[in-house]
Amino acid sequence: MPQSDCLDVVLYKDRAMDVINSAQTEYKKIETKHIDFFPKIIEKMQTSTLNQQITQDSTNEVETVKLNLMEILRSIELLTSQVNDDHKEFQKTISRYEKVIDKKWKQDITIASNPDAFVDKEPVLQRTIALHFIRQGKFKLVDTFMQDTQLMDFTTDLQEQFDHMYEILDAINNFNLELALEWAKSKRKELEQRGSSLEFDLHRLHYIKYLVKQQDRKGALNYARLNFNDFQTRHMHEIRRLMCAILYIDRLESSPYADLTSNDAWTDIQTTFTRDFCNLLKMSCDSPLYTSLTVGSTALPTIIKMATIMKEKKNEWSQQDELPVEVPLTDDMRFHSIFACPVSKEQSSEDNPPMMMPCGHVICKESLNKLSKGNGRFKCPYCPSESTSNQAVKTYRTVFSRMATRDVILGLIIVAADAEILTYFDMKF
Amino acid sequence: MADRFDSDSLLALEKAFLKVPLVQLRGSTSKAYKNFEKESKHLQTQIKQLQNEIALNNKVDADKIREIHENIEKWLGSSKLEFLEAHREGQKHVARGRQRVDHLSEVSLITNIYDPKYKEWTGKRADRVIVDYLLREGFRDTAIQLARESDIESLVDIDLFTEAHVIEQALRKNRCTEALRWCNENKSSLRKINSTLEFILRVQEVIELCRENKREEALKYSKEHFKAYIDVNKKGVQDVKKTDSQSGPIRRRDNVKTISSDDPLYKQYLQMMGALAFPPNTTCKPYKALYDPIRWERLIARFRIDFYELNALPSQPLLNVTLQAGLSALKTPMCYQHENKNIDCPVCSPDTLGTLAKDLPMNHHVNSTLVCRISKKIMNEDNYPMILPNGCAYSRDALAEMASKNDDKVTCPRTGEVYEFSKCKKLYIL
Ligand SMILES: [Zn+2]
Ligand SMILES: [Zn+2]
Repeated sequence: MPQSDCLDVVLYKDRAMDVINSAQTEYKKIETKHIDFFPKIIEKMQTSTLNQQITQDSTNEVETVKLNLMEILRSIELLTSQVNDDHKEFQKTISRYEKVIDKKWKQDITIASNPDAFVDKEPVLQRTIALHFIRQGKFKLVDTFMQDTQLMDFTTDLQEQFDHMYEILDAINNFNLELALEWAKSKRKELEQRGSSLEFDLHRLHYIKYLVKQQDRKGALNYARLNFNDFQTRHMHEIRRLMCAILYIDRLESSPYADLTSNDAWTDIQTTFTRDFCNLLKMSCDSPLYTSLTVGSTALPTIIKMATIMKEKKNEWSQQDELPVEVPLTDDMRFHSIFACPVSKEQSSEDNPPMMMPCGHVICKESLNKLSKGNGRFKCPYCPSESTSNQAVKTYRTVFSRMATRDVILGLIIVAADAEILTYFDMKF
Repeated sequence: MADRFDSDSLLALEKAFLKVPLVQLRGSTSKAYKNFEKESKHLQTQIKQLQNEIALNNKVDADKIREIHENIEKWLGSSKLEFLEAHREGQKHVARGRQRVDHLSEVSLITNIYDPKYKEWTGKRADRVIVDYLLREGFRDTAIQLARESDIESLVDIDLFTEAHVIEQALRKNRCTEALRWCNENKSSLRKINSTLEFILRVQEVIELCRENKREEALKYSKEHFKAYIDVNKKGVQDVKKTDSQSGPIRRRDNVKTISSDDPLYKQYLQMMGALAFPPNTTCKPYKALYDPIRWERLIARFRIDFYELNALPSQPLLNVTLQAGLSALKTPMCYQHENKNIDCPVCSPDTLGTLAKDLPMNHHVNSTLVCRISKKIMNEDNYPMILPNGCAYSRDALAEMASKNDDKVTCPRTGEVYEFSKCKKLYIL
């Protein structure tokens, strides 16, 4: 991370703490006030002179009664105004805190949304929520939800799958890898095709369990002999390392193999297993609803700011194809390769695909047409080489015609390492 | 963008979260106080009357003195009980408020977005947002169960939404009583937001009496309840601001909002009075509309708007607001192209979030991004793309890791072809 980014994190963190700290300070005042507010009122009611006056047996003497009534009236007024003051003071404490909150959240978040966006899509939204519950293994909750919404019970197969997944994860959590291994073995082909080494990773961890948790040299050797055979070709290097580690079985911590003793491997294998399991179901590792909500709250400040400006200018944005500003995404939330033309800053589309010039630089078709003005030679905006639009189009036909419709979009500017690589230029990212 | 999180984005949804217990606390103390003050004024008038009587007759009625003494004792006694009760009730809200502030302060322990605490915290937030949606939609059993299972009962507003739910259910059964009681309890707050809820509830009550052909009662009802709204002098409907009980001493507000005779409210009132003359099966247009059951749906919608506003709740479910923002941020044209889908991308699921995102704007991008298919990481100068002999390109880190575990061989996840790592060539990104 560049230094400026580190600094940003510190700054942002500080701002988060500012808000929370002032909330805490203000809240403490409310708590304190609340603790003594009512007892104070009740005490005032008890010590008020009223109590003495009404217990006094009033004689029928007119003057005494008159005086007594005047006293009582005055006491009631006094008590009422005292209680009123206390009450007001307490309300003020609450208001002060409310002001802190209003200052931090100036805008109503609903400005960022279109109230009609999900109209008629309630069943889809509810289905999404049901799937989210299943992804989390909350099967009983799904049953309740099905009753509440009267959604069709569409999820039994999936429930079974995730039930199985959580069963395996539970076992791993108790350092038991049998179930996971059984599953991985049954899916060996699919996993290998995806480039996943889950099965080997599980065997490796099982072997390490003998080594570290049980310090059982014989058991470890036995396990290795029985299970590493299938992985000789793909994992020779790692297997060699594992076998060497056995020499240090009684002092692994201080050996070159100390990394094997880390407990992180047990959490990592759960992540890997969950990812592979979900991916084979053609699903993402995290619940998509959770991902969308997390991205959504990150995006809201930007969208609120933009919506406020658009509202002032009386511009409609929620019906547009594209947001007028870029909502920044963290790297782990960018799921597609995107080509934005470095000249026009526009995203490529089927009508306006990225085109590579003979020099290897890539711009979008519209920009290319503008540069060449439809004829003759023109200079690449990023390097000294010249080309003709014909050449560019030719490249486009051979390379990008297929690419434009695939995920192949060329990001930034890619220059082949050497001319030879151009022959490979049917690139997919 | 680096993998940072900032306060604005992490706390973007939390305004109502902090405010709701405050509104409830304010309400719980005000109720006891209002009764105390009302009774106090009543007693003061009583005493003053007695004083006048005594001065006039120069004679003391012992029964009346006793009555006043009894009333004072009753007042002090019941106020004490009410204040104690309000204290208990308030304590609940204070405790909830404290739990919420504490919950937000857990953010300070998160170091970055890969911290397990980040996932834990945002996971809880997702649960809160979903509970809010479930409560608003009336899926109460699911909401309560989820809140319990996720141990976030103090972080969601089940009681508050239950209150709204009861009133809505009554309206759904064509009964205004509960809604009117709520209006009465929140009179001054409703006046502050210029609410017309009570007025249209009263209109509905008259319409219902007419529907049942109880014209006499309807007339009596409208005489009784619309007197406050009718300005005899100005021939219009008035929003009569009575004494502001919160500000203590009697203060009459003279800035009475007079509604001109073309105000929709006044029209409604006139129509309602007209309805007295028309039977429910009338074909006469404006009166037919009055008897339309759709008015009840509108009443519920109106009630919701006012209820949410009074309790500092956003007018739309947090789920809808957040989800729209998230889907727009994630949406790309590729999400709807079969061969470009990424199973990790929420918008790429056609049956669920893809459908929800269909009509939303997609994100704007001014820079290109290359995403590695294997590691899902962004490719850049440090983690540059490498091209396999079959034309597929992946990030260096992902290929290198695969090679290190597989005797320097890499497998293309698209085609399953296996190549020597050394056959992969570096691509330069400028
Ligand atoms: Zn060039
Ligand atoms: Zn997508």
